[in-house]
Amino acid sequence: MVLFKNKKANILMENIIFIILNLFFLSILILFIFKQGSGAVMLEESYAKNIALLIDSSKPVMILKLNMEEARKLADKNEIDFKEIVKINGNVVSVKLSDKSGYSYDFFNNVDVSIYPDGNFQDNYIIKINSYK
Amino acid sequence: MNIKLNKKGADKIISVYWFAILILVAGGVFMMVSTFYNSPYDVRGLEAEILSDKVADCISNQGQLNFNLIEEDGKFSEAFKNNFLNNCKIILNENKPEYYFEVNFYGVDDTSNSVFDISYGNQNWKAGCSIQEDKEHEKLSKCLEKRFYAVGEDNVQYLIKVLSIVGKAEKNVR
Repeated sequence: MVLFKNKKANILMENIIFIILNLFFLSILILFIFKQGSGAVMLEESYAKNIALLIDSSKPVMILKLNMEEARKLADKNEIDFKEIVKINGNVVSVKLSDKSGYSYDFFNNVDVSIYPDGNFQDNYIIKINSYK
Repeated sequence: MNIKLNKKGADKIISVYWFAILILVAGGVFMMVSTFYNSPYDVRGLEAEILSDKVADCISNQGQLNFNLIEEDGKFSEAFKNNFLNNCKIILNENKPEYYFEVNFYGVDDTSNSVFDISYGNQNWKAGCSIQEDKEHEKLSKCLEKRFYAVGEDNVQYLIKVLSIVGKAEKNVR
């Protein structure tokens, strides 16, 4: 039996495998970069500091709305209740987006603050500066 | 002598090198991304800015000194100074203060000797201000000095310097 090898098909196959491997490699790299940027630890720190700075620069009776869409997505993924992710205890803001992590940051503005999810916009949190202590 | 070039073999060698380069690039990207994302956000500069604004707002409003700051006889009020944190609604952690602020009042004719001063917080942070520009010492603290003029009730003009310092190195610098 004589086998006819198709040289053109062989070259095409090699190139396709080469391209697929390259794409696989690049997609792992991009996935890694995106995952690093949207991890719970990163977001917790970012939101805690953001909220602390907002409180520091506010005065009674301000009402601030903070979009926390990314936090909501991550909290849902980690099965954390969105209502429970941000807490203020004394002058410390705590953000918790997963069971294993959590981040706290303190503020110096001596105000009484309430923080709760916005009923109208599910991704927002409302920061209400009630009064000076 | 007739040498036949093996093109297919050369292609394979190139692809091995190509993957070696990819691994090197990936390693570099991995290192850079890890370094970038593992470094905390340094918000101390912003905090120092907000703190100095808050102190300045408490001392003067629209260029006029807070009337509680000057007593009837024209002297600065020691009572206001002693109760400054409460008057200005600032809370500093008493056990481990990560903040320090200092306010110096100068007459316009003598800007080297302060006529009155107010300071609160952890004074140890102040030592780091002079060397904080150096990259090596950026961990120490973040300092910010603001100056402005204000007029007292008796129309006496003052130059006011507010120095605010934020420590919090553990949470802002790696």
